[in-house]
Amino acid sequence: MSKRFTCTSCDFVVDYHFKGRQPPFAKCIMLLEDCYIMKDPFSTSGGFVTVGGSCSLCSKDVCLSADCSLFYTQRFCLTCAHRNQQEFPKQIQEEILHRAKLRD
Amino acid sequence: MRCSSDPAQRSELRVLKCETQSRCVGCGISPFDSLETQSKSVSTSSTFEVKAKDLSDSSYASDNGSSFKKKSHIAKKSGQRSEINALGDKSESLEDTNYSKKVEKSDSAVSGDKYKLKELSHHSTIPTKEKYLQDKDVSKDDAEPLDWNFDFKKYKFSLAKIFFSDKYFSKITERGNQEHEDFWAFVSRYQDFQRRKLQRSKFNPPFDSSTEKGTNLKLNLPQKYDVQYKINISFLCKEFDTFLKKNRLVDHQLEKELTRDRVFQFRTILIHFLDFQQKQKFQKLHKIRHDQRNLPIYQYRQEIVDTLKQHQVVVVAGDTGCGKSTQVPQYLMEAGYEKIACTQPRRIACISLSKRVGYETLNEYGSQVAYQVRFEKSKTAATKVLFLTEGLLLRQMTTDPLLEMYSVIVIDEVHERHIFTDFLLGVLKCVLMQRKDLKLVLMSATINIGLFSGYFNDAPVIKVPGRLYPIELEYCPITRDDTSDSRRLDPTPYLRIMQKIDHKYPATERGDLLIFLSGMSEIMSVVEAAKAYAQQMKRWIVLPLHSALSVEEQDKVFDIAPEGIRKCIVSTNIAETSVTIDGVRFIVDSGKVKEMSFDPKYKMQRLQEFWISRASSEQRKGRAGRTGPGVCYRLYDETDYNDFQDYSTPELQRVPLDSLILQMISMGLPDARKFPFIEPPSMSSLENSIQFLKEQGALASDESLTPIGQMLSMLPVDVVIGKMLIMGSIFNMIDPILSITAAMSVQSPFTNRAYTDSEAMTARKPLESDHGDPFTLLNAFDEWIQVKTQGQGTRKWSKRRGLEEQRFYEMTKLKRQFGDLLRDHHLLDGGEPTQRYLSSEQRRAQHGERKRLAQLRRDKMRERKRRKVLTLEDEEYKISDEEGDGKEGDIKDLEFRLSNDLSQLQETSNKSRSFTLRDVNLVKIILCSGLYPQVSIADDCNTYKRDSEQAFHTKNKPFLLLHPTSTFAANPDVLMPKDAGGKRPAPSDLRGLMSSKHELLAYVSLLETNNKPYLVNTMRVPALQTITLFSNCIDTNSDCTRLLCDGWLELKFPDPETAEKVVTSVLTLRSTWYALLKVRLQDTFQGIEEERRVSPRAKQLERLLASKLTEFLTSEFLYALRRVLPAEAQRAYVGPGKAGGGAVMQEMLTKGDKSAKEHSVKGGIQVTDYFTYNCLLDEASAEIWGQYTQGMHRHWICPGCGVAMVVSVLERLQHQAACSGDGGEGLKAHEAAEEEKEKEKQLNPHRKPYHCPECEETFSLTTTEILKHRKSHAVGTSGTTSNDVQRNT
Repeated sequence: MSKRFTCTSCDFVVDYHFKGRQPPFAKCIMLLEDCYIMKDPFSTSGGFVTVGGSCSLCSKDVCLSADCSLFYTQRFCLTCAHRNQQEFPKQIQEEILHRAKLRD
Repeated sequence: MRCSSDPAQRSELRVLKCETQSRCVGCGISPFDSLETQSKSVSTSSTFEVKAKDLSDSSYASDNGSSFKKKSHIAKKSGQRSEINALGDKSESLEDTNYSKKVEKSDSAVSGDKYKLKELSHHSTIPTKEKYLQDKDVSKDDAEPLDWNFDFKKYKFSLAKIFFSDKYFSKITERGNQEHEDFWAFVSRYQDFQRRKLQRSKFNPPFDSSTEKGTNLKLNLPQKYDVQYKINISFLCKEFDTFLKKNRLVDHQLEKELTRDRVFQFRTILIHFLDFQQKQKFQKLHKIRHDQRNLPIYQYRQEIVDTLKQHQVVVVAGDTGCGKSTQVPQYLMEAGYEKIACTQPRRIACISLSKRVGYETLNEYGSQVAYQVRFEKSKTAATKVLFLTEGLLLRQMTTDPLLEMYSVIVIDEVHERHIFTDFLLGVLKCVLMQRKDLKLVLMSATINIGLFSGYFNDAPVIKVPGRLYPIELEYCPITRDDTSDSRRLDPTPYLRIMQKIDHKYPATERGDLLIFLSGMSEIMSVVEAAKAYAQQMKRWIVLPLHSALSVEEQDKVFDIAPEGIRKCIVSTNIAETSVTIDGVRFIVDSGKVKEMSFDPKYKMQRLQEFWISRASSEQRKGRAGRTGPGVCYRLYDETDYNDFQDYSTPELQRVPLDSLILQMISMGLPDARKFPFIEPPSMSSLENSIQFLKEQGALASDESLTPIGQMLSMLPVDVVIGKMLIMGSIFNMIDPILSITAAMSVQSPFTNRAYTDSEAMTARKPLESDHGDPFTLLNAFDEWIQVKTQGQGTRKWSKRRGLEEQRFYEMTKLKRQFGDLLRDHHLLDGGEPTQRYLSSEQRRAQHGERKRLAQLRRDKMRERKRRKVLTLEDEEYKISDEEGDGKEGDIKDLEFRLSNDLSQLQETSNKSRSFTLRDVNLVKIILCSGLYPQVSIADDCNTYKRDSEQAFHTKNKPFLLLHPTSTFAANPDVLMPKDAGGKRPAPSDLRGLMSSKHELLAYVSLLETNNKPYLVNTMRVPALQTITLFSNCIDTNSDCTRLLCDGWLELKFPDPETAEKVVTSVLTLRSTWYALLKVRLQDTFQGIEEERRVSPRAKQLERLLASKLTEFLTSEFLYALRRVLPAEAQRAYVGPGKAGGGAVMQEMLTKGDKSAKEHSVKGGIQVTDYFTYNCLLDEASAEIWGQYTQGMHRHWICPGCGVAMVVSVLERLQHQAACSGDGGEGLKAHEAAEEEKEKEKQLNPHRKPYHCPECEETFSLTTTEILKHRKSHAVGTSGTTSNDVQRNT
């Protein structure tokens, strides 16, 4: 059964098959956060695609697009990342600013 | 470094942005931009991550536990063993900490081990500060960073043993798999990148940001940046764990170069690869959604769905590029409609759209979105959206008249107004009245929308703007120069525009030119002049584009012109809709088009030049604004434009309606005249087609379907082709017929070079058959297969002969499909050919071929993305002998080899090659069964010399010429009348010439070009047999020595005996033939049991017919042949009630024969529906004699039923018609005999056919029986008849 994943940041919508860290259809894979995962629609021989996760701060669902979220040991929606910029190392801070600029 | 220039991939890469120095030469983007790593962390990048959570999994925990046990043992710290063992039950974060602590401790204890085991904090949901401190600790005692020069590829096997045992990685390990290559390419690129990084960091030591931060951070994120913190993926692997434990694998000896460090390095790369792969896939997904949202039609999505909820019919009008074809079906599917049918006018569009929509709905490999075309389908029970051709949807209505299998029907491209589009619209209008729940969406370009909306009671229209850039319009009418030759197109105006472009637009501004002309000769003259100009300027590459070019030549227009040079594409209207060329900025529109029109009177196609319609003039203009703003030059006046027709003439009004009418009747619409066409065709066109169908025997006189008509309506092919297929299957001559019909159904393989290049003509000579063009096609096809089987390059072979190889591939496919079609309708015996058994070597070879095919396809996909760059020399089309078959050819070749059994094909092609004259005649007769009445007779004054034109006459159209592409045009001498002394006979000699070798010329179509009418695709056929077997009416005089067939061909026999033989044969043959058709049709409808597709009765009839037909075809009756002009034909008949021997006839009628009727117009007696006896006025001299013979009674024994009787000619004919017809005595007798033979054959398998030379009969006997039989002759007991022998044995 597939459920629908909707990104709260952009209007990306897609049906996913599993939420969690270890997709039952790719047993040897271990994700380091709870993800929305779908079976790879571009392949006939298994595989999967991670489409999104939840922001570790505001717990909103966000897709993996660079415009919407960022992963640095945890998932952050770009808004939360921006708000907590100072928490990140310099390299990530630059990246957050850069992404935010691109998005606007 | 160079990466793919595919924009999609590029954008995927762009996401991983950051600055680095390693950039792709092509696009300037580094694939590792994201892998910003500090040099210091190189050692830390070889990290071992184990999820604490996994430790709670009991088996895994114990596994790990023991691993630690071992490790601590090595470290001689056994005291911690129990603690580690207890790990499994602890809380996540605790476990985490403990775990990493232990490992760390044990590891640091093993001094000298460079391996730093570090548990990254982000493995747990809530990272603890403690861990970061540990982190720091680890990085502090940094050792020498590991270099990136290790060649992992050398250790593929061992690495696979360690990492890739899980089936998830099977694609990486599988050699030849795309992922395998991707992965190893990634490995080397990653290493390159890291090497450079290391190099750089030596010169500028990176600053460490971690020290700057205070401790008042609430999120506890690691402040020392490591790219690994950005990765959210890892993997579990038992073998890797084993390796950790023991430094080796259980069942595999690792190379000693593969140290622990290297294995960890590899692991890092693998994790990066998994991350990269995920990002790539996500980007692909994201891009699909993004592109969908950016289509103009996306804004109308809700409106479309809502309107359809309220109305039964909605018209969606949008121009090219608005996305209607791909998006509307998806919107409907998302709105909850489940059974959606989308029709397309072209088969190819069905397949490509279904693929595209399947991809966009992420159903690429499912069957929710499927297609179904004439011979293929991908539809399953799960299908929600089905793309199909209009013709197929119509065909489905014969079994499902209200289309109850669908809830929504979408008709795309209605504005193209194909014949089936119009028909479908009419049919659906009726269906909608009966099915109020059915929804209909019409999709059209913004052309003539009012017509469609109005036709469906003012259905709502939703207009969607297209995506076009502004186009500047300029009218440059041609001022006619009276001195110039009006027949040839003057290229000056076109050159002037090229000059203008050169003058006005700098060469640095890109943009190509597209010129629309009406036809091939016009293209030639402009291309010629433009090339001369181009050579002088060196700024243009001139390329022609029309359908007679080979696929390769056509493909050139898509290639890219080099910097500073423009393409000048000179095209027919093919570039208006069918072929879309990007990068066109300038358009020159001649305003002319050559269109095939159809003359229903002569059933002749006519290629004529017309002014285009305003709609297509706009379409041409629009081609300039697809990729940027453009300019359109119209070579006519604005007033001309205003005078243009609004829209092009719909197909329905231009083509023969035969198939359409046949289909209508079979669908239960008996009267086409009353059909509610959106724009009805002319009445005369309808009437002509109905007449043609009657002539073809498909419709009875009351316009109901005949058996053959029913069969034809089931076969989705042209009436003519359908008839040939049916007859071919009946006469067991199916293979050559399949080849010829397939060849007739595709575009001719002869390119226009085939007739201009003398070398090609010489090379082709051996293929030419003096029987005619269909046989030449068959030869070419067979020879091609031969060359293929011999493993030679067929592409070169084809090129040398001026043939387009693509057509042969199409023929093969079509041939197979025709065969399947006949089998489906039980017209061909035997299901699928039995499974071939291959030797292991063959299997291996086949497997190799399959892999090679996959590889080639991939290569081609890549190639397609990168269009070739043209050079100035590319205009010339050369054939070099060195040139082998290219990739395209290879793919086709392999596909062909894999889907066809070559040896079998070769066998059948050999069969056709060893044709006897009898076989050739049979093939001709079968072809004629479809072609008739398309036959013509030679003019008496023909010279049969190559340099003069030969004239032929059909019933309705005199003086037709041989088309220059015909075999006979090059060798007219083979058409010279035989039996006329060898030299060219004078017209006077031909009059009344008695010969057994008169011939007619059968043709496939008539074509008028440049005001000359031509016969196309001709074949010489024996006159007597063709005419008498297929004529719709044969009228005779009193002794049948004179026959007038179909009112225009007269046959005269020298004596009544010959006449009698001929007429007898014809009557028997035709009635047997008819009976057989009826039986076969019954079989088809009853769908008899699987194993025996053809019933035994049909088989018997077939054998009977085949033997009789062969006999008739080889017979050498002398006769004279003459064309009767309409004026004469009118006065040829006796007329009703005025029969010469009125009294005699009266007598005969009263004699009680029920079937005898007087023909209402011609007089005489109608014996069968096609045969009218004694209705011809005899020539004056013979009149009295005629009356005499007519009434004369003779002793006669019917050869059919063996009954002796005393009969007149008429009575005899009547008897024969009844006797050999279905259920007649004669037929039964023959069948009985056949059955007897069959039975005997089955009884004793040792029996074989034996022809006795003495009693001249063929028996089926065993060897001993043959001896006995011979003996019976030797004894000379004349009393023993052959029948007795048979009975005795």
